[in-house]
Amino acid sequence: MTQTQTQNSQLNATLAYRADNPRQDEAFTDAGELKPHWVNLLESFENMGPETYRDRASKAQRILRDDGATYNIYSDQKGPSHTWGLDLVPSLITSEEWSKIEAGLIERSELFNLLLKDIYGPRDLIRLGVIPPEALFCHRGFLRACQGIHIPGDHELILHAVDLMRDENGEMCALTDRTQSPSGAGYALENRTVMSRVLPSLFRDSQVHRLASFFQKLRIKLLTLSPNQDQPRVVVLTPGAHNETYFEHAYFANYLGFHLVQSGDLVVRNGYVWMKSLDGLSRVDVILRRVDDWFCDPVELRSDSQLGVANLLEVVRAGRVVIANPLGSGILENPIFIKYLPKIAKELLGRELRLNSVKNYWCGSVRDMEYVYHHLESLVIKPIYRSASTHSISGNSLTAEQKKELLKTIQINPMQWVAQPILNAGTLPTFVNNNLESRPSILRSFSVAANESYSLMPGGLTRVGVEQASFVISNQSGSQSKDTWIIDSEPQTSTDSDEASTPVREADLISLPSRVVENLFWMGRYAERAEASLRLMRTVFVMLNGEEPISENCKRLLLQAVTEVTSTQPGFIDASDELIASPEQELLLVLKDSDRIGSVRSNLNAMLYCADVSKELLSSDMLRVINDIRDALGELDNALAIGLISAPEEALDPLVTALMALAGLAQESMVRDFGWRFMEIGRRLERAMQTTSIIKTLIVPEVPESDQNVLIQSLLLSLEALISYRRRYRARMGVQSSLDLVMMDTSNPRSLLYQLEQISLHIKTLPKATESRHELSPEERSALEAETLVKLSLLKELSTRENGVRIHLKHSLELLADTLSSINNLVSDKYFDHRETSQQLVNSTWGE
Amino acid sequence: MRYKIQHITEYEYADRVSHCYNLAHMIPRDTLRQKCLRSDIRVEPSVSYTSKREDYFGNQAYHFEIQRPHRKLRISATSEVETGPQHTSLNLDLGITCAEAKEQLRASKSHDVLLAREFLLASTLLKPSKDIVSFCQNIFHDDRPLLSAVMELTQKIYQEFEYSPQSTTVATPLDDVLKQRKGVCQDFAHLQIACLRTLGFPAKYVSGYIETLPPPGQEKLVGTDASHAWVSVYSPTEGWFEFDPTNECLASEQHIITAWGRDYFDITPLKGVIYGGGESPVLNVSVDVSRL
Repeated sequence: MTQTQTQNSQLNATLAYRADNPRQDEAFTDAGELKPHWVNLLESFENMGPETYRDRASKAQRILRDDGATYNIYSDQKGPSHTWGLDLVPSLITSEEWSKIEAGLIERSELFNLLLKDIYGPRDLIRLGVIPPEALFCHRGFLRACQGIHIPGDHELILHAVDLMRDENGEMCALTDRTQSPSGAGYALENRTVMSRVLPSLFRDSQVHRLASFFQKLRIKLLTLSPNQDQPRVVVLTPGAHNETYFEHAYFANYLGFHLVQSGDLVVRNGYVWMKSLDGLSRVDVILRRVDDWFCDPVELRSDSQLGVANLLEVVRAGRVVIANPLGSGILENPIFIKYLPKIAKELLGRELRLNSVKNYWCGSVRDMEYVYHHLESLVIKPIYRSASTHSISGNSLTAEQKKELLKTIQINPMQWVAQPILNAGTLPTFVNNNLESRPSILRSFSVAANESYSLMPGGLTRVGVEQASFVISNQSGSQSKDTWIIDSEPQTSTDSDEASTPVREADLISLPSRVVENLFWMGRYAERAEASLRLMRTVFVMLNGEEPISENCKRLLLQAVTEVTSTQPGFIDASDELIASPEQELLLVLKDSDRIGSVRSNLNAMLYCADVSKELLSSDMLRVINDIRDALGELDNALAIGLISAPEEALDPLVTALMALAGLAQESMVRDFGWRFMEIGRRLERAMQTTSIIKTLIVPEVPESDQNVLIQSLLLSLEALISYRRRYRARMGVQSSLDLVMMDTSNPRSLLYQLEQISLHIKTLPKATESRHELSPEERSALEAETLVKLSLLKELSTRENGVRIHLKHSLELLADTLSSINNLVSDKYFDHRETSQQLVNSTWGE
Repeated sequence: MRYKIQHITEYEYADRVSHCYNLAHMIPRDTLRQKCLRSDIRVEPSVSYTSKREDYFGNQAYHFEIQRPHRKLRISATSEVETGPQHTSLNLDLGITCAEAKEQLRASKSHDVLLAREFLLASTLLKPSKDIVSFCQNIFHDDRPLLSAVMELTQKIYQEFEYSPQSTTVATPLDDVLKQRKGVCQDFAHLQIACLRTLGFPAKYVSGYIETLPPPGQEKLVGTDASHAWVSVYSPTEGWFEFDPTNECLASEQHIITAWGRDYFDITPLKGVIYGGGESPVLNVSVDVSRL
């Protein structure tokens, strides 16, 4: 150890861990001794000290943010998207203990699978009196429309997640089950990826079981579910980017190599499910859904759902598509079953379960209700059906008055409530206030149907409470997560890597969902629009505050160009002399008013939205640059806080730079697939439109010769062509040579003709109907028309004035603008999905 | 009795519908007192996919999908049904008492009883309510025969409510019906079901048709019949009994069953999703029940 290192570690406080209550802590034995497998780990953190820890933690946060790992919290309206919280002290479980837990959990999944089969099949459990009929029939998760549906293979239940906690005897015990579309497995994998990067040596030395095989098994299982043998197409159905776990949906889709689709991407036709893609409809065989049961089919389930696919259930029934987990599997989340689980297990498995469940009292049973009535203080009250509006209530947090209220509410519909004893969760060392403190923890495990049984993820998602005595540990309440390490005393022989492996993509890249390419197209357009606006405004600021004063008329034309390019009319069009004299307020609004359509901020917000919903197609470098844009946008208000008094153009630089980086990355590191092409078409179209509009505003109108110079200079500056121009001509500003440079010179990548050639090139490569011969498609014709229009222009004619106005230039630019807009419409009509709004035939919304 | 039923449903849309998906409950099911001899559904414009299946409750569910643009949808369901009376001789004053019925429901291990308990619970459209309790609490005394009490409830609804087609829609909540004391067969059936469940007796919603006879001396007009709804109540050890609160009677041979469920939501005659169509489609329904 060198001198400086020694000094540093002496300066640091150490990160020693002393559990509040060792008997309840995962790291300590009942006798208060540190468990052997925790010794090394805690020592490492102790040596690390808080400063290094914070350094690693912020690195972890950066990685998470760059990966786009977010969790949206519904109650937080202002900034609903939160970077996923990861505490770097992992939860440790020895492989000896894990194998016991594993056996219990696999058995539980097997039982739940049989239970699901019985519920939508013979319902023997009711006929034989094993469970009272109400235990099933009163739960809203029982979907009568799903009666008799089976999927191929031994399993109905494909994915099963269980929340686990320690009970008072120190045994792991199951708290709740997640069986519709369990979330968390993707976050667990992301946690692992980050941990192995920020604590590489600790991770390497700890002999941690790898997670990758779990996802391989899931992938294989999904593929084998396909009713069609050749080249099954699996999609991941997400409710959309606003969903709290959208990151995971995109992550899953990418990691497993499946398309991420939303409701509108799928359609039922002639008894099959299809994905609307660039080349038409592609048949879908398996859907891994992240949409809740009731929302999946507006015809038979919730009729007001916008997240489902009409007639989906009918296709499922016919066996032509398989959904995992199957529709109706939400019934297994019914906590009443837990009360009867020992009896159910005896009936269906012939034995009791090894893994205990938390005790459940069902208020629908008179005896249990009696107990709840007298023991509210020590119980957690839960509604049997989980929804966004319902929460668990801890009896000991209530006043006498509130308790009475609660009991009254329960008694209105007692069957809808269960109660569980308040557990003292096992605590884990967690970094809080520069220290390691005890926090209650809960573990979510994941099992997937594999071969004849189930296979458990060796690890899981651990979450810790915010406070020492947190009773609710959920991401919605702001909890942190931890990686879960199952550790061997022997080194792992497996060579599996948890690093996100190269995504396996289907060969048919062509079948991107239309919605996705549309988003990329608009991402390109918005990014370019924002960039053009920023460049022009920067130019305007420079000219207005320049050394040489400019004429009133010039100022007016420049400001009008801002309005035209941003489409924020009326703005400076026909503006009063006062407004032209002090334009600062209006310029500020055009920059930063998010409510103003056309403002730089609103364009960037739209661009960020398009990026968010296309996340799964963007590289991590791209996502990082997009985060930079987000940051620069967030900083814009600060940067402009002092108004436009001093060098306002500099406040815009970080945004312009970030946007340039985005454009550069799209050129340098995006695969040349159709997604990329559409983004490019969007970008080129937008640039051509903006350039047309700037030239028209600045060069067409009648101005005195002295002003002409200023305007040409502004034009060249805003189009990034001033330096090239000076290098080339070194003379005063000439209209013809300037128009040559910005319109016709294809060696200038910002010239009009360059954009038009690129557009033609991209459009040629788009998928076409096979029967088309050598005839050009309408969009090809329009692109060619635009290209030819510019190519055939005569500079002399363009620069000629008639009655002061450059009438030829004006007409050419107007014609060009029309042609560009028709290219936009033709491409959009042909390749993007134009969904008609749906409505219910019987106008009836009965809520849930 | 043998009937031929023609049930025509027409939607006219303000705007083009590009495609639609529908689920119809229009084919009469078989029951202990009824057999559907033949049935046929015709849809215009032509469908691109159809399927017929038995649903959870044993009803006939008919799915269809139209993929061609249209402004008008016409569904014509024709069936021939043979019906019989519920029970050849039925004395409502005999049979088990309310208390016995409740005890059976609580303790019996018979499959029928266990499965009937599903119809005791709240359903999509029918939730527990205080007003319901006060409306029906004085009829079902412990020592009274259950079916006679149900008949009294049937009469009470008939007498205290006005039949008024304009007063409610399919979306009118039960509490409103109870307040305004007006409604149609569907409201009365829902009310009676809610009462019976609140009191602890399983009850089903039955939808179908009723044969109407013209006044003496007049000829029967085509298309004047209507779809109808009534209730079925479960008496342990005795079975299910149908009562018609709109007509103050037990259901007879003239009551032709299409489907049953927990409430209207389970067996809506026609529901679905359309794409396009504009606002306020015009709906026309005509039903014709004729003896064969």
